[in-house]
Amino acid sequence: MKLYKVSLLAILLWIVNTHPLFAQEKVHGVVKDAKSKNTIPGVSIQIAGTQNGTSTDVNGNFLLTLAPVTQNNGVTLVFTAVGYMPVSKVLNSADRTALLIIEMQEDMVKLDEVVVTGQGLNVSKRRLSTNVTTISAEQIKHLPVNRIDQLLQSQIPNAQIKLSGGQAGSTTIIQSRGLNSAFANSTPIIYVDGVRMDNLNTAPTIGMSLSGGISQGAATSALADIPVENIERIEFINGGAATTLYGSDAANGVLQIFTKKNGSGKASFNASADVGREYATNEYLYFDRTKDLLFQDGFYNRYSVGMDGGNSDFGYSMGASYNKSTGVLIHNQNQLEKIDFRVGFSAKVLSDLTYESSFSYNNQGLRRGRNGNSGGYSGLWFAEDGASKIIGPGFNPVLDELSEAEFARVKSFVDSAEVLQNNTSKVNRFTTSQSLKFQPLKELLIKGAFGIDSRQQREQSVVSMAFNRHIRSNNVGSLSNYDRNYLGLTLDLTGQYDYRINDFSFLTTLGGQLFRTEDRQIAYIGQDIRDGALTVSQAATRTSSEFYAEVANYGLFLQENIGFKNRYFLDMGIRGDGNSAFGSSIGVQYYPKVGFSYILTSEPFFADWNPKFINTIKIRANYGVAGNFPTPFANERTIAFDGFLGGQAATFGQPGNPDLRPEKTHSREAGVDLGLLNNKVSLTVNYFNNRTEDALFVVPPAASSGEPNVLRNIGVISNKGWEFSTTVALLERKDWDVRLRASANTIDNLVVSTGGAPSFNLSGMSSRTIQIVVKEGYPVGYISGNYGTFGPEGTLVSTTPQSFLGSTLPELTGSAGLNVAYKNLSFFANADYQAGGYLSNWDKQFRINYGASTEGVPAEEIAINGTANWLNYSQLFVEKSDFLKVRTVGLVYAVDKRFLGNVLKNLSIGFTAVNPLNFTASASDPEAVMPGGAQGQGSATTGGLNYAAYSAPRQFIGSVKINF
Amino acid sequence: MHTYIKQLLYAAILTGLSGCSLVEVQNPNVTDESFLGTPQSEAIWLNGMNRQLAVTLNNTVHFTEIASDNYYNNSSLSNKVFDIPNILYSDLDVDNMQRSIARLSQMADYGLHNVAPASRETTDNIKADMHFIGGYAYLIGAELYENLPLTAGGPVASAAERLQKAIEYIKAADALQNDPVKKQQYALALARAYYNLGDKQNAVAYADNVVKNNPMLLLQVAFDGVNGVSNTMQTYTFSSSTNTYAPLPRLDFLDPKYYHVGNASTDQKPIAILKGEEAFLILAEAALGNNNVDEAKTVLKSLLEVVKRRPVASIDAKLAQRKGNRSDYPLLATVEVKFDKASPARSGFVLDRQAGNITVYTVSGSSVTEADIDGATTSDQVLYLLCLMRQEIFMSEGRRMTDLGMRFPVSQVEQQNNKNVNAEHTQAIIPSYIPGQLGMDDFTYDKATGLVTMEVDMNKVLVQNKTADRVLPLLK
Repeated sequence: MKLYKVSLLAILLWIVNTHPLFAQEKVHGVVKDAKSKNTIPGVSIQIAGTQNGTSTDVNGNFLLTLAPVTQNNGVTLVFTAVGYMPVSKVLNSADRTALLIIEMQEDMVKLDEVVVTGQGLNVSKRRLSTNVTTISAEQIKHLPVNRIDQLLQSQIPNAQIKLSGGQAGSTTIIQSRGLNSAFANSTPIIYVDGVRMDNLNTAPTIGMSLSGGISQGAATSALADIPVENIERIEFINGGAATTLYGSDAANGVLQIFTKKNGSGKASFNASADVGREYATNEYLYFDRTKDLLFQDGFYNRYSVGMDGGNSDFGYSMGASYNKSTGVLIHNQNQLEKIDFRVGFSAKVLSDLTYESSFSYNNQGLRRGRNGNSGGYSGLWFAEDGASKIIGPGFNPVLDELSEAEFARVKSFVDSAEVLQNNTSKVNRFTTSQSLKFQPLKELLIKGAFGIDSRQQREQSVVSMAFNRHIRSNNVGSLSNYDRNYLGLTLDLTGQYDYRINDFSFLTTLGGQLFRTEDRQIAYIGQDIRDGALTVSQAATRTSSEFYAEVANYGLFLQENIGFKNRYFLDMGIRGDGNSAFGSSIGVQYYPKVGFSYILTSEPFFADWNPKFINTIKIRANYGVAGNFPTPFANERTIAFDGFLGGQAATFGQPGNPDLRPEKTHSREAGVDLGLLNNKVSLTVNYFNNRTEDALFVVPPAASSGEPNVLRNIGVISNKGWEFSTTVALLERKDWDVRLRASANTIDNLVVSTGGAPSFNLSGMSSRTIQIVVKEGYPVGYISGNYGTFGPEGTLVSTTPQSFLGSTLPELTGSAGLNVAYKNLSFFANADYQAGGYLSNWDKQFRINYGASTEGVPAEEIAINGTANWLNYSQLFVEKSDFLKVRTVGLVYAVDKRFLGNVLKNLSIGFTAVNPLNFTASASDPEAVMPGGAQGQGSATTGGLNYAAYSAPRQFIGSVKINF
Repeated sequence: MHTYIKQLLYAAILTGLSGCSLVEVQNPNVTDESFLGTPQSEAIWLNGMNRQLAVTLNNTVHFTEIASDNYYNNSSLSNKVFDIPNILYSDLDVDNMQRSIARLSQMADYGLHNVAPASRETTDNIKADMHFIGGYAYLIGAELYENLPLTAGGPVASAAERLQKAIEYIKAADALQNDPVKKQQYALALARAYYNLGDKQNAVAYADNVVKNNPMLLLQVAFDGVNGVSNTMQTYTFSSSTNTYAPLPRLDFLDPKYYHVGNASTDQKPIAILKGEEAFLILAEAALGNNNVDEAKTVLKSLLEVVKRRPVASIDAKLAQRKGNRSDYPLLATVEVKFDKASPARSGFVLDRQAGNITVYTVSGSSVTEADIDGATTSDQVLYLLCLMRQEIFMSEGRRMTDLGMRFPVSQVEQQNNKNVNAEHTQAIIPSYIPGQLGMDDFTYDKATGLVTMEVDMNKVLVQNKTADRVLPLLK
């Protein structure tokens, strides 16, 4: 068929051939901030009703090629930029010759910002009944952070992002609007240019010792290797009505990254260097000497280069970086090395057809130290938890009491134990997005996109004979490799028809989406292997294992947004989904939504009144449903096979469930967006009431059935709360600009019903120690353990097992940011806080076990009963997890352009402190949590159990950025 | 130009339609319907039952060992409260044990009712094996749990009811089996079931059969470390770098029973579930129950001959340094041991593992000598030796807790799912003569004089409480 001739090459040739067809005309211009008169880079300029356009370069300049003069009568250019009110400029003949100067007003309320995520295609925020958070490249460009999740810490007002530990590549725990699920993790689904990313929702299942969520691992994040290069903007929407169009996959919200695909004019280059030091966060260590045993001061450096350019027909943008951090564990056991590359193209294939492409590659290698309690040696457990008493030759576990000579022996032992570890993880990740935008009519836009995310991760854990002998284990050497290969495919076709008649406007969106993911995990392990031999084939005993999960989700959606007089909007939509993980008797699942938006200040009477103190009032409310699909293949009853004594061995597999369906979060939300005091203050207030029905619980059936835990749709979880976020322009003068961002979010979380099923634990150890439990009538993931009652003499009288000891979920979270600019000097600070949650400081409790400390236990109890009851009064070790953490503080100086000469366009010099200040109510780091737990469910996690986990290090980084 | 556009759109639609194959997934797992009736399905299922038997032992043996006086959990791994003993129905380990025993019997029923009938290759011997393993599941369930449902989610049955069920299964196995050695194993299993029931006549009859026909009978359950079924008792008593479990000093010479040389995964030692010694112990106890002390002594002396004929091994156990919560375990062969404060100091119980290889009793070992038996004159003195021999011979095999009269409760998860479970069923049986607060494992060690004194001699306690329920059933 002729069809196949339409290849990429043909398209490119066609682009080249089409150029001379028109007698082109060019419009030059510059875009400035109306107040500060500073130029604005990255402003999108589009010819209204077409896909033709360009964007401003680093100095706010643009060059736009137009069709011949005769065709340009009445041409309107639309200028849009995150954080600015759009500007429409009708071109007149003079504009075609003179320099066009466009001034844009800052828009703190962002009422007319155009967003995409959750809407199918472009929609002005004015029309939306839900909240969309947008983050511009400008907002994050000075943060010398090389992980997307860490980059977004403190930036999304109603999402809390916490690093679960300080080991390289450790996962983050992201929560917004509480915890909808006790089954899936609360990480939002991540899209890059419309392509669904791996966010590690399928947990490692075959014992990946480094990242498997088991006791000695530190759960690995698949977000850590999404490149942060070349980001144009980021959008975040909460799960519920906002994510209804994502169907069975989006109850936790959606985060979408849009990448740059063009520049303006001839090539513009940029380069940056971030160089600094890293220091261990020591304030949570119990023994002063632990820092001398395990930590070093590390080096951080990151170098990046990029370029972009193009015209209205063709654009390109490229960014690449190299990053190396030695980490703060001795012998560089937390070293991280990363290469990121991202490139984007845009091309006007036809006058009404645009092609966009982005491609990214990540190569990441990191090292991990052993942590948690693996039964053998692990650094923190050895030093902080008293395990030094039993490991190796055995030492006095009270490190700070040791003589110098004794400590030198401990140090020597630890030094060897650390240097003998060899645990690595390597990731290679390719992601691409390809899209075509077709606008056959001014009112009709059709977009088709497909893309893939291919992530190959390999973990290797070498336990040498030398290490085993050092820690006095009689085990032979082993080499364990774990591969996790993920392939995600996304296909998307969406059409949007924008029709206006009189005072009515109709925005009709119809689309279909399909994604499928494959997750293949392979373990290949060699035992009895010579030290130094690093391939499994050299081992005397070789074993392997494999896990495979595959899921396909496909759906159609229809959305109608009706506007009246540009101030009353009705938003309705529905998505129907099929999914291979659904039970056989389920069929298509539907997700409806309905909402309204009302711009009170657009009423004529309001315009007449025109009060100074209140400028914008948008009132909105909505109801919608979004889901989480169940575990792939859990719907079928199976027989499980294993090897045993040289032959096949069969047993009951999973019990199966023909009624397995997605858990559905029904969200009800009402909110108001305000612009106050000449729009110098923006304030958003939301109330949400989310109810997850058919919540998926992995519950244990009766022991007498002999069956393992089973996945069932039996729960009901409720999350309610208020969200406040504000941005205040405290000072706007010629030389001064001071901004403050702040947010506060309350969460009232409750497991309304477990459908008659028993309580179960998400993580933790055992019911006789500490577990993080899900139980009817309590918040998801509360701390359950022994509550000891002490008599008047101060000794233990009784113990109540499985008591509620506190909720791990905070009741209040929020963030704050301060930006101060004085002439060319700017200062920024970002912070997060939480209150109302609890954690179990298991380190503190465990120290009793081997006699490292009895801190926290009444002296009378120790005097009479010794430490025999150490497990019976766990409430003594439950601490408030309240914190205020300053994530970044930085200072940037942009060198005056007068001193830069002709080559350099910009030069800025900055200094940033990452994680400089922590204020916590607990003695342990509320964010450094035990990764999972041997008896946990694995995927849903709330944190709350602190056990031998490292805190994120501090970094002090100097930066130089240039554009030329 | 528009032709191109149309073609592109057409291509997009075609891609969408051809995407239909993209919505299909292939389950890499085997469903139960597709398994039944396939070649060798019955043999593979039986091997799965053997695997589950090993898993069940793994879930039970090491916990019962620390719940008894045999071992103390000297580390933070495993269970820290069974030792005390503090056994709560909410303890996940209680549930895991119950669940794995139930899985074994459920597998037997599924094998007999679904897998075996569907396969043309099923033989009587395979059905016999399935019956036997199912019966053994009921047997250990009855020994470890005071109450358990007989069926999934069903009514709670007493130990006696479950022992009858075990007897029913094992007799069915016997009827189908044509291997004489296996029939002797079944006889010993039946002797044990009747022993637990207190049915002296049947217990003696079946035990006598074993003593006469196969006194060296040994049925062991094998482990497969390469395929994820390691012998946990071996791990905790030998392979673990932190010397997880520490034996009572008077049993030090019997530790470890299981060990590895080279790669632990490929060298997992089996655990005996039926051995000839037990028939002698049953006969001796029955004799004492009949006040026939001399016969009991004769049987015990014969038993010593069997124990002596069992294999031993010489191993390097230098890494067992007993460092942990208690680091005062005796490590020298010169140390003398008093079984309790009133007992004489005796030597030969503690090994010096640093001095060279030690001798390991891989099946049975005992400190009791013929002279000891000769020296016992009263019924209680012989009974004491019988208790001590039972303890030493069954060391590390998960039998001691039952012999002490302790039983696990029905699990909390069972109660939450099964309305037949009442509050009484959820209480562990810990007789009042069992000292709490780690008393069974406690000792003092006077390093200056090289003397270890046990806090309590549980065999003395057993003799004192011989009339108590659930202990020494053939004395009644």
